[in-house]
Amino acid sequence: MEHHRPRHLTAVLLAVLALGACLMVLPLVWMLLTSLKTFPEILRNPPAWLPAVPRWENYRTVWEGFAYYRFFLNSVFVAVMVIAGTVLTCCPAAYAFAYYEVKHKELLFAALLSTLMLPAQVTVIPLFKAYAAMGWVNTYLPLVVPAWLGGNVFGIFLLRQFFRTIPKSFIEAARLDGASEWTILWRLIVPMSLPAVMTVVLFTFLWSWNDLFNPLVYLHNEATYTLPVGLLYFIARAEQLTGGSAGLVPWHLVMALATVMVLPVIILFVAAQRRFVEGVTASGVKG
Amino acid sequence: MLSQIRALLLWLAALALVVTGFWWAGHSREPEMQAGRKVITWMLHISPLRDLYEQQVAEFERLHPDIAVRLIWVPESEYHMKFKTLAAAGQTPDMFYSGDVWLSYLRPFMADLTPLVARDAAEIGLEDYFPEIRAAMQHEGHYFVLPESMNISLLYFNRRLFREAGVEAPTADWTWDDLVRAGQRLTRPASGDRPGVWGCSRMAGWWGEWLIFVRQAGGTVFTPDGRRCALDSPAAITGLRFYLEKSSKYGISAPAGFEPLNGFVNERVAMIMGGHINFWLNYNAVPGLDWDVQMLPAGPAGRRGGEVAFAGYALSKTTRRREAAWELMKFLTRPAVTAAIVARGGTSVRRSIAETEMHDPKRQGRPQNLAAVYRQLEFSLPIPRHPNFLEIMLQVVQPEVDRMVLGELTPEEAGRRAAAAVNAFLDTFDPQAR
Amino acid sequence: MNDRRAQLLWFWLFAGPALAGFALFSLWPMLYSFWLSFCQYDVVAPPRFIGLRNYSYLLMDDPAFWPSIKVTLVFTAVQMPLAVAAALGVALLLNQPVQARGFWRAVYFLPSILPQAASVAVFVYIFQADGGLLNRLLALAGITGPAWTSSPVWALPVLIVISLWGFGYPMVIFLGGLQTVPRELHEAAHIDGAGAWARFRHITLPLISPVLFFNIVMGVIGALKVFDLAYAFGAAQGLIPGGPARATLFYGLNLYQQAFTYFHMGLASAMAWLLFAVIVVITWLNFRLSRRWVHYGD
Repeated sequence: MEHHRPRHLTAVLLAVLALGACLMVLPLVWMLLTSLKTFPEILRNPPAWLPAVPRWENYRTVWEGFAYYRFFLNSVFVAVMVIAGTVLTCCPAAYAFAYYEVKHKELLFAALLSTLMLPAQVTVIPLFKAYAAMGWVNTYLPLVVPAWLGGNVFGIFLLRQFFRTIPKSFIEAARLDGASEWTILWRLIVPMSLPAVMTVVLFTFLWSWNDLFNPLVYLHNEATYTLPVGLLYFIARAEQLTGGSAGLVPWHLVMALATVMVLPVIILFVAAQRRFVEGVTASGVKG
Repeated sequence: MLSQIRALLLWLAALALVVTGFWWAGHSREPEMQAGRKVITWMLHISPLRDLYEQQVAEFERLHPDIAVRLIWVPESEYHMKFKTLAAAGQTPDMFYSGDVWLSYLRPFMADLTPLVARDAAEIGLEDYFPEIRAAMQHEGHYFVLPESMNISLLYFNRRLFREAGVEAPTADWTWDDLVRAGQRLTRPASGDRPGVWGCSRMAGWWGEWLIFVRQAGGTVFTPDGRRCALDSPAAITGLRFYLEKSSKYGISAPAGFEPLNGFVNERVAMIMGGHINFWLNYNAVPGLDWDVQMLPAGPAGRRGGEVAFAGYALSKTTRRREAAWELMKFLTRPAVTAAIVARGGTSVRRSIAETEMHDPKRQGRPQNLAAVYRQLEFSLPIPRHPNFLEIMLQVVQPEVDRMVLGELTPEEAGRRAAAAVNAFLDTFDPQAR
Repeated sequence: MNDRRAQLLWFWLFAGPALAGFALFSLWPMLYSFWLSFCQYDVVAPPRFIGLRNYSYLLMDDPAFWPSIKVTLVFTAVQMPLAVAAALGVALLLNQPVQARGFWRAVYFLPSILPQAASVAVFVYIFQADGGLLNRLLALAGITGPAWTSSPVWALPVLIVISLWGFGYPMVIFLGGLQTVPRELHEAAHIDGAGAWARFRHITLPLISPVLFFNIVMGVIGALKVFDLAYAFGAAQGLIPGGPARATLFYGLNLYQQAFTYFHMGLASAMAWLLFAVIVVITWLNFRLSRRWVHYGD
């Protein structure tokens, strides 16, 4: 069909795409520009378009001066624990749902999948009560433990879809060789499904990294904050940070912090765009 | 064989990592002891006095080598939420911020300070506190809080804008009419590079301003027994109407959604009705902002009606560091600290320091008219003591007031709807009403 | 492994943790919150049974309940169609033979996976009344923009704009769906003289209807769940989330505040159950309706 297309139509198409893309990127560009300005440049009304001299020190100020490396490390720690738990429990669960013939299997799986529709607000109150009773509030356990019990249902779903495309004969052959189910899963199936596992890892990272709700409910100690809570907390603290100029938020520092928070996501995305796209596409395809 | 050992070691390493991970995820960050010192936790909301507090705590720790103080900073808007969450989790801070607004809400968690206050009355200088403050520290005759500072509603004004408009500075005998007249002369639209100016601010989203009008018109939030809402009374509605008509009729305040950001600091608002003393620090940090205060203009039912609210410290009922935390409380409320706060721009809850400051001929700082502050104290009313005061004001009443300002409701409707909503709330949640 | 008992054993070993997680973190809390919804519970004193009072307060007296439903409905009714339309539109453009498709797709998709706390902070700064980027641009055109974020009229539209920035997610799903549409069908229709709209209406749309349906359902449920967006919007301005004048008090945010700001845990549990019921009904309704117009192609 390409050869039918008149030249000017292609140009219009590209122009529309480029215009839209500019709108999409503009907030990020403004974030980056702002993060490199000085406080007077922000305070000026109207503020400067561009920083006179890019001030990379802003990042150091945020990182060291306000100890934001701590929030960053907290976020990394939670993400790593959540990812480890997810991989360790979702792979076996997906394997079980893909290959075993057990009564009511489909019903159990449907029940599991239905939790995807369940907003966190619906279950949080009893969970909070239980965690508080166990002394888990102000620790990372409420964020981490669910992941170690197959909390990422979407991951189970995605992996099951992928496992099902692997011919059963592979498994039968391995079983004949005397391999245990555990070995088959981790030595055969998972290595064959690495793209799917990677997709699950990436999405688990996203959910953990971007999560605001759970840290807000369970973490109440500055030392434990993760980045999303830390960012909002930073804005609340802004007045005293800037020497108390009535409600003047140091947006240059806020934007530096936002950049620090966004950057790992962008890097991962650029490195593994295909995995992300596959993951999203898979969520839209009926199982 | 070798590979089996390697596999085993790998498994062990992985297991150790996981165990460490869970330990780190689960270990408490509120240790009882720290390097052999007793730890007391102090929860307070973020304020520009942070460096002063940290300095005081360092000094306290130097004097008491066996005590370590851990500060828990919380944004003000989330204070009660964080507090109750920690209390629910069994981690009530040993010492915490309290005051008029909080006292009724937090009282279930507070230790009765009466024996300690009686024992150390001389040391804390109980008699030196203003009588209004001494009354506010108590609930049914028992002491619960040591006060640190107070807020008194005042009329704030920008001298430069008054001069430019050729308006005389406000005087102590002003009424609402004077406020409107001056406001109209101060208000000017933007022209060319010169930004516009509004005569008077309107504090949105908070009761700080409209409650003054309601009370100066003779209204109240609650009936005297505290069980019903009285915002539908004709007097209260008169107050709400004035709050609305400041912009809709007299045009001295910006309409909803067009209030200039930080208007008073940016000199785009000439007067603030009510305001908050916590902002003195901020105003004084702005170079060239020539501001002062005056007593509130009187309303139809008189001058009385601005709020007086003190802030201070309370002790947890369940603390295991009772004496240590009490020591810290006394240390933080000693006259030297009050004087330090006053020196940076604040009010004194102690008469002695207030008088020294007022009569200091060398005093340079703003506001100049300190006499107005302490005279206004006599015409101020405390905030209603109700356990759910904050929630009722912010969550139940305020949205109706906001809708009135938007023009969706008349003052009558707003008062009626607010009262009905508060009464339904009290019927459902108020422990006293049952 | 044909031994049924061994299969059963392995099944429970492998799926056990996930099913235990389901029971502990979904099923039990659901049932327990059903009980709590009939109680007064403030986390300090133990729950106390009060019958249907929470529900009657919510439906008849609570001044925040209906406004929060209105906000949620308005958001759903405006944001979801706009997001789906934008997603479908861009997906159709990207489905054309265009240079550097991967690049364009990346640019449009990226914002949807960024942390909302960060993107909301950026937008709050852009929409700020004095010195915000938008009002500066408007000023160049001689327009004085309002205080977008603190105006009860504009706050919700601003939130809709912020959330539209994340339309990349449904877009990628559409793109996946569009790529399953066989090119030959289009070519044949083209030869038969069908115009672009006719081809879209009669070939593309029926074939991607399952994907369209999925995006609509997810869009509606996503709108019912909105929390991060509204919370960050308030917090980034140093305000109590939900304002000004409840203009951004989403249902999910209202529930959170009743539970964790005001500690009406029983009331919030009742809200949770109402939300749950609504989600069940919407899902069911959508699937019923979908039979009429969704073409699953099998």
